[in-house]
Amino acid sequence: MSEVMTDEQKEAFVAKLRKEVGSTGTPSTARDPVNQPMIRHWCDAMEDANPLYTDPDAATQGPHGEIVAPPAMLNAWTMPGNIPRVNDPQDPASGVYAMLDEAGYVGVVATNSEHVYHRYLKLGDRLTGTVKLVDVTEEKQTALGIGHFVTTETEYLNQHGEHVGSMFFRILKFRPGTGRTASSDGDAAAERPPRPRPSRNQDTDFFWQGSRVGELRIQQCQNCGYLQHPPGTRCPACGSTDMGYITASGEGTLYSYVVSHHPRVPSFDYPLNIGLVELEEGVRLVTNITDCDPDQLKVGMPLRAWHMQTHEDVSLPVFRPARVPRNPSTLTFDEVSVGDELPLCPIPLTPTLIVSTAIASRDYQDVHHDRDMALKKGSEDIFMNILTSSGLSARYIGDWAGPDAVFKNLKIRLGAPNYPYDCMTMSGSVTAKREADGEDIVEVSFRGQNSRGPHVTGTVDLALPRA
Amino acid sequence: MTLKYAYHSAIAGIGATPFTKDSGRTPMDQAVEACLAACEDAGLPPEKVNGFVTYSAEQNPEIELARNLGVEEMTHFSMVHHGGGAACGVIAVACQAIYSGAADYVLCYRAFNERSWHRFGAGVQDRPAGAEASEVSFSWSSPFGLVTPASWVAMFATRYMHEYGATTEDFGRVSVVDRDFAATNPYAHFFQRPITLEDHQNSRWIVEPLRLLDCCQETDGAQALLVTTAERAKDLKQKPAVIASAAQGAAEDQHMMRSYYRDSITGIPEMGLCARQLYQSSGLSADDIQTAIIYDHFTPLVLPQLEEFGFCDRGEAKDFIRDGHLQRDGRLPINTNGGQLGEAYIHGLNGIAEGVRQIRGTSVNQIENVENVLATAGTAVPTSALILSQPQ
Repeated sequence: MSEVMTDEQKEAFVAKLRKEVGSTGTPSTARDPVNQPMIRHWCDAMEDANPLYTDPDAATQGPHGEIVAPPAMLNAWTMPGNIPRVNDPQDPASGVYAMLDEAGYVGVVATNSEHVYHRYLKLGDRLTGTVKLVDVTEEKQTALGIGHFVTTETEYLNQHGEHVGSMFFRILKFRPGTGRTASSDGDAAAERPPRPRPSRNQDTDFFWQGSRVGELRIQQCQNCGYLQHPPGTRCPACGSTDMGYITASGEGTLYSYVVSHHPRVPSFDYPLNIGLVELEEGVRLVTNITDCDPDQLKVGMPLRAWHMQTHEDVSLPVFRPARVPRNPSTLTFDEVSVGDELPLCPIPLTPTLIVSTAIASRDYQDVHHDRDMALKKGSEDIFMNILTSSGLSARYIGDWAGPDAVFKNLKIRLGAPNYPYDCMTMSGSVTAKREADGEDIVEVSFRGQNSRGPHVTGTVDLALPRA
Repeated sequence: MTLKYAYHSAIAGIGATPFTKDSGRTPMDQAVEACLAACEDAGLPPEKVNGFVTYSAEQNPEIELARNLGVEEMTHFSMVHHGGGAACGVIAVACQAIYSGAADYVLCYRAFNERSWHRFGAGVQDRPAGAEASEVSFSWSSPFGLVTPASWVAMFATRYMHEYGATTEDFGRVSVVDRDFAATNPYAHFFQRPITLEDHQNSRWIVEPLRLLDCCQETDGAQALLVTTAERAKDLKQKPAVIASAAQGAAEDQHMMRSYYRDSITGIPEMGLCARQLYQSSGLSADDIQTAIIYDHFTPLVLPQLEEFGFCDRGEAKDFIRDGHLQRDGRLPINTNGGQLGEAYIHGLNGIAEGVRQIRGTSVNQIENVENVLATAGTAVPTSALILSQPQ
């Protein structure tokens, strides 16, 4: 069935796919009510520490008066779990997926998710979701491959028939191996010469040995404790030649920076961020500022070291924006202005993060945890599932706004996949303030960017307390 | 400590080749032409020269130059360290040699094809790794892509902007001044090609916050200066440009172009050290200076130089520049030859030649009533400066 179709066959196929557009499927009820263990699992995996989700005392004081589920979990409750999927041909959406699978469009990625929250879910709520097939596109060429976008809308009710939320959702079903071939950039990266190799000698070896094992070492006089970088052979403070080192915490701030454009040295990506970082221990060093757009660099911004391997035996200490601690109080509506920028937040994309969040959101699609299957289905590696993109976006916004901010909706669109060993840096700004239905609403637009481009862009409406 | 050779020596002759982008000649051939021109200018037979001073990065050995010039015996020859930072240092060392009696007539020179042969702006990207201290010092910057002179200077510029509220337009105003003087200097590469601040702001980024028009040229060419005692200079052809004083300076925790580890990186303490020596030994002050050659490899470091020499307070160079004081009719017109952005980049030596012309009254952009001219050398490296004065 995966042979190339004629235009006529394509037309007939699309007509068949669209036959049930507008129809609603069988309601599906969550196997478990909203419960603390699943919430805790989600919060652990997402590193979301909002106490309203797990701490009964804090929750009692909060705007909901009791424990609530993270709103971004909305569609996790009715996920089928790790049981064999049987596409129900009678179900409009499920039937379309089955037809596409059969026709060779076995690859799947979610591209859009728009949650609307009518009220937060409480422990014991039991959800029922009803899926309506909204649209199936014609065949389109995408970066991932040739495929069809399928759009659904799900309404969620609880056991009392209360309408608690809805989700607009779009996925791409594509033919593996039909994507645009690796860009010329990728080839250039493969042939890229290594960076200039650090020159070193007996006076400086300790520094490079340290970075090789993930330590940022700063020379310290063993007599008077004076710290200096670059290293020397004698202490300028006391004259001692007994020089050792300390291992720096890796915390620092940006003291100055440049963005290099020309001339272009083939070992580097341009524009290239180069920073002069002041470590919390007090010394400075030249380094790169990674996972950050040039226009996001600001003197004074908090940074955190990591080590980038550049040669078989060389790693360089480089820095990325530091994660700002969660705001323990909640911003008031009056404290926030349109144009306010949220602090940058890097999210290192470890395999553990990608796999644990997929499972915590009850998404057992193999492409999110099984590399062999991911490759087979046309992906470069396992990649983050869309529920996690929602969950991490919500964590980012919530950590800035504070625990009592109430999410009214969460709308995201995905771009470049989040593959392991990359880093996604979240940024955002306040784009609107308004009153709606007696609530003070702040709209935040946000973006999560990895090394390939924006992974997630979106907006959220938050209700903030007045004072 | 005080410099004893104040007002003792003078620049008696200046000579240069045309400044080009592709000379089609060897640097040695150009060095010989510039040295002969300096002797001719002074009216001194070249075989009378018995001292040579040049500075690091020079690839034309003085012994070969002497052979080509017909100089038989040399009693002083030296190489001053730190490239453009030594532009006035070569004059200081010539003064020391002459004051001490080690030489009578000293040629200071620079010659290269740094546009058509090795491009100077390319930086140190090809520098091989090694274990010597001079090689190891690059390890703290090159592996991160900070490999060009523009990038080294840009790091200071960002911090300066942050602390003092200077903008890239303030850097651009320096560029506009240089190009305005170059536009009326037939020897300048950018003769008749002035720019506006808008042109500057529209020029492409090289290393933010530096744009193309913040960066000096790369030039093929040579410049020579003939130094002797002020007394002997009186018997030569030209009005002597008396060297009121010339000094070198390197300051605490000095690094080559990357002194990023000091408490503050918005000043240039090694230039402040030069300023103190010059003013103390000459008895002059900022008020006595009518025009200046302020080293302009990159525009941002012109600002702190104005502060180190006391033309304005710390952090206020931007206001001094916005008030138009560097322009033709300003308090301190600078780089009247067009500077290294407008005329040519001969590592500062062509600027000192312009200082000599201002003393003689022969500049194409002559400033009225010039008594004393300040010239500075390359910044961010160990540096140097001098003051030229009218003969008494």
